[in-house]
Amino acid sequence: MRIFLSSLLALFLTGCASYPNKNGFQSVETLQETSLNPYFANDSTDYVYKANIEAFGKTFGGLFIVKKLGTNHHRTVFTTEIGNTLFDFTFQEDDFKINRILKEMDRKLLINILKKDFKTLLEESPQILQTFKHNDDIVYGAKIGSKKHYFYLDHAVLQKIIRTGGGKEKVAFLFSKIEKNYANKIQIVHNTIPLTITLSGI
Amino acid sequence: MPMTNYNSNLGNPITYWHNRLIPLPVSVFPLLIKEQYNLVFRNYLLIFIVFVFSAKLTGQTKLTTEEANSLRTTVKQQAEATTTITSDFTQYKHLDFLSSDIESKGNLAYKAPDLVRWAYVEPFSYAIIFKNNTLYINDNGNKSNMDVQGNKIFTQLNQLITASIRGDLFEDDQFDIAYFKKDGNYLVYFIPKDAQFVEFIKAFHMTFSPAGEVMEVKMIEPSDDYTLIVFSGRKVNQALSDAHFSQ
Repeated sequence: MRIFLSSLLALFLTGCASYPNKNGFQSVETLQETSLNPYFANDSTDYVYKANIEAFGKTFGGLFIVKKLGTNHHRTVFTTEIGNTLFDFTFQEDDFKINRILKEMDRKLLINILKKDFKTLLEESPQILQTFKHNDDIVYGAKIGSKKHYFYLDHAVLQKIIRTGGGKEKVAFLFSKIEKNYANKIQIVHNTIPLTITLSGI
Repeated sequence: MPMTNYNSNLGNPITYWHNRLIPLPVSVFPLLIKEQYNLVFRNYLLIFIVFVFSAKLTGQTKLTTEEANSLRTTVKQQAEATTTITSDFTQYKHLDFLSSDIESKGNLAYKAPDLVRWAYVEPFSYAIIFKNNTLYINDNGNKSNMDVQGNKIFTQLNQLITASIRGDLFEDDQFDIAYFKKDGNYLVYFIPKDAQFVEFIKAFHMTFSPAGEVMEVKMIEPSDDYTLIVFSGRKVNQALSDAHFSQ
């Protein structure tokens, strides 16, 4: 009985443990980086991705377009392949503006998911709260909105961002095929809802 | 389809200002004192000069009713004599805030009365086929389909694509239409009447060759951003099997 209770307590404590503790992160001294995420940071680049969205058993595609218009100021547009705009958002500092959204997509729940995901994707220099070492990666803990995010850098190159909630991984932002501050492939994988967004650079 | 009056945002400025301003001196000027007359006359002259020059720059003039009727007949005859079309296209997506337009290339196939295959090959692979009220999609090998029967937007989109290829939208009472001549070709403005459709496409402009073939289609969004599709290498009435329209 005592062993059972101890196991239960251990399980409970592990369940409540923070994301860094669960993953065996080693705390190290924080050195504030100038930019953690360089992938949408060049204001002279038109970022155009072919997007594939798998949501609730359905798949659809389009073009995801991002332009940096100033410091902490981005415009994001999603169009069909034929070019019709489905939504058009502006992110400026902490403000979020819907310039246009197709009536069929104008749902608060959907807009909130997209808003949070794109805010994370576009944030270049979030305020770093903690720094860790994990295997060969340096992991920066930062806050975007009200959620904790962990930026994994391998040799100073951002590989992934993990958004957590209650010490658990909620959303993963995975960057691959990286060339000179440009990620040719980006995946946004939600762990709590069946939603995956794949962006392929064109 | 009756020709509509020119909309001040979209049509020929000369006709618009001519119709509005020519009667002005006759009807209003006797009631004005000399200074006001000079001011109004100067403004009137200035506006007239600006629009004469802008019209010369764009080289766009409104067709007479006879010319518009003749164009409609030419295009209709051309469309009725067409059983198949294949063509390449280059698409330019213009968003005002981008440094340059997003360019993509592809090809299309049409078989009367309503089989359409519209495929992008560069810089991504994506094809849609409209067949039996179903939209078949091949997104770089990922195949899916969508029943679009009863879906107003998709039904209109299908009609729009078919008509864009054939060019015979003139009989459609869903649009207000205005006809112009530009650079030796014909430019026709189609303004959708349906409010739901306008939310998607505010207007589209089609350019026809003198022979009545569609050369360009420009779809303008409510924000004034647009998609321009330029056709090239058009071939008509070549044998196309139904297999050509399989996913």
